[in-house]
Amino acid sequence: MKITPKQFALSLYEAVEGKPAVQVKAVVKKFVELLAKKNMLAKADKITGQFVKIWDEKHGIVEALATSANGLDKVSVKFLEHYIAELSGAKEVVITEKIDKNILGGVIIKYGDKVLDGSLKTSLDELKEKMIK
Amino acid sequence: MNTTKDFIVEQLKEQIADFKVRAKSETVGRVIKVGDGIARIEGISEVMMSEMLEFKTEGGSVYGLALNLEEDRVGAIILGDYFGIKEGDEVRCLKKILEVPVGDSLVGRVVNPLGEPLDGQGETRPDKFYPVEKIAPGVITRESVKEPVQTGIKVIDAIIPIGRGQRELIIGDRQIGKSALAIDTIINQKGQNMKCVYVAIGQKESKVAGLVAKLEQCGAMEYTIVVLAGASDPASLLYIAPYAGCAMAEYFLDKGEDVLIVYDDLSKHAVSYREISLLLRRPPGREAYPGDIFYLHSRLLERACKLNKDFGGGSITALPIIETQAGDMSAYIPTNVISITDGQIYLMPELFYQGSRPAVDAGLSVSRVGSSAQIKAMKKVAGKMKLEAAQFRELAAFVQFGSDLDKDTKAKLERGKRLSEIFKQGQYSPVPAANQVLIFYALINGLADDVPVEKISDFETGLFKYAAASGAKILKQIAEKKDFDEKLEREMKGLIGDYKNNLDYLIK
Repeated sequence: MKITPKQFALSLYEAVEGKPAVQVKAVVKKFVELLAKKNMLAKADKITGQFVKIWDEKHGIVEALATSANGLDKVSVKFLEHYIAELSGAKEVVITEKIDKNILGGVIIKYGDKVLDGSLKTSLDELKEKMIK
Repeated sequence: MNTTKDFIVEQLKEQIADFKVRAKSETVGRVIKVGDGIARIEGISEVMMSEMLEFKTEGGSVYGLALNLEEDRVGAIILGDYFGIKEGDEVRCLKKILEVPVGDSLVGRVVNPLGEPLDGQGETRPDKFYPVEKIAPGVITRESVKEPVQTGIKVIDAIIPIGRGQRELIIGDRQIGKSALAIDTIINQKGQNMKCVYVAIGQKESKVAGLVAKLEQCGAMEYTIVVLAGASDPASLLYIAPYAGCAMAEYFLDKGEDVLIVYDDLSKHAVSYREISLLLRRPPGREAYPGDIFYLHSRLLERACKLNKDFGGGSITALPIIETQAGDMSAYIPTNVISITDGQIYLMPELFYQGSRPAVDAGLSVSRVGSSAQIKAMKKVAGKMKLEAAQFRELAAFVQFGSDLDKDTKAKLERGKRLSEIFKQGQYSPVPAANQVLIFYALINGLADDVPVEKISDFETGLFKYAAASGAKILKQIAEKKDFDEKLEREMKGLIGDYKNNLDYLIK
């Protein structure tokens, strides 16, 4: 049976979990040799991606993307971190910022497959629809 | 003038004050693969089975339906044009099961399975939205079928009666009048307190256009909805078409009305579902149909019902149509649907080419609901006729030895010939129940035995004309009472006798 990138990533995670840096180095070296043997080196990108996902999941890390019109100040970022941690039950929240003038104001937060849309643009669109009705 | 302006401003202020700005939480996903009307989506972890999805493309939103929920991906069919969807496009869950607009404003319209008008007569104003998939009414809400659907087709009303709430399959090869039977039935529902839904699945749009024109000409569009998923529409629309049509029918059912729904045809529906299933990589079974092909049709046809008084007393009568290949009734889909329905009308190519149209095979066709779905007057005349038709079929092999037969057999053969002659009927010419009773009465009482076989159809049309002119009262009484007593019987006999006195082609 074919082994999927996800299965590779999971086994790598299990192999390195809780081990000191020296051992990890050796494990990773062996893992790359295994990939070469199984002809899976071309899939290395996917395996890395899956590994990051698994690592984040096991350690309760949530990556979030916050889109705003004019950038966020430190207080808001801190507030958002707490807010997302509460919503998702994560231990640690890593926020990446993005600036998009099109949303006019407010903020759109994206984490995992969830979207919290608090932008002025969406609210205005909704208001428009309600008025038409 | 001023007050209106103030009023509007006031309203505006109120509305804006009411409007609460809040961030709403949504689950989104991303298209990882798209093609052949199928999309595979990653993310949307909270999606429900058969939930509507919105694909955000550059050319606007396209809607889809989640069908396969797997561990880390979702398989969805796309309802509409899938060429605009690219890999990586955002997909939103709409948090509602697929619904279609229903209501009185759809009557007289031609719509697609999503309820959008196709006839260019402007927007429909739906009263409500009904889910496309719905659990069929349960045992407590139902009652047995007891009122007839008058199809206006003599052979069906006499031998294979259909009741309100019944599911009667129309089965046969291509081009031998399956749709024609259904259309004639719809035309005959005028003034019978019946709404009709015609679901065209994978039909040529030219055929449907011709059919709608015919219905309009006969005044049948006043109570009919046509749901069209044409041959060029994607398989996803063909797949939901019968369920959407049934949802539209259920609106009238809930209002306590009687509905007739025609699914034309379910073999194409099965083929479109097979296409979707194979593209979604579900394992194929017999004839490459997926394992749940039986459930596909049984859950649809189970929604046909007769509700009892406590639940409104409405009904949905279903006439599914199945096309066989070279008369093969034992193929997978035909046997499935035969076992689901309460009987079938089998159309035979041999009969069709011999010229006895509608080509209903009286031997293979049955109605499991039977005579409880006939008016009393019809029961009185048709009971004996079933027997005569059966005897004629048995003796038909002896026809070529005409001269060597005893008198009794000969009489039966002659009667049978006249019977099958009476069963012939042109397209778009349904016969009212009272007229049917009259002609069948003439036949079983031997009043047509002295009419030459080749003159039977002239005899029949003449009799109807004569009855309309000088026996209108008798026909009206039969139609109203739905029965005849001895007095009325004598009057009928007299009417037929008087009519025959004017004829010059009788055998002396």
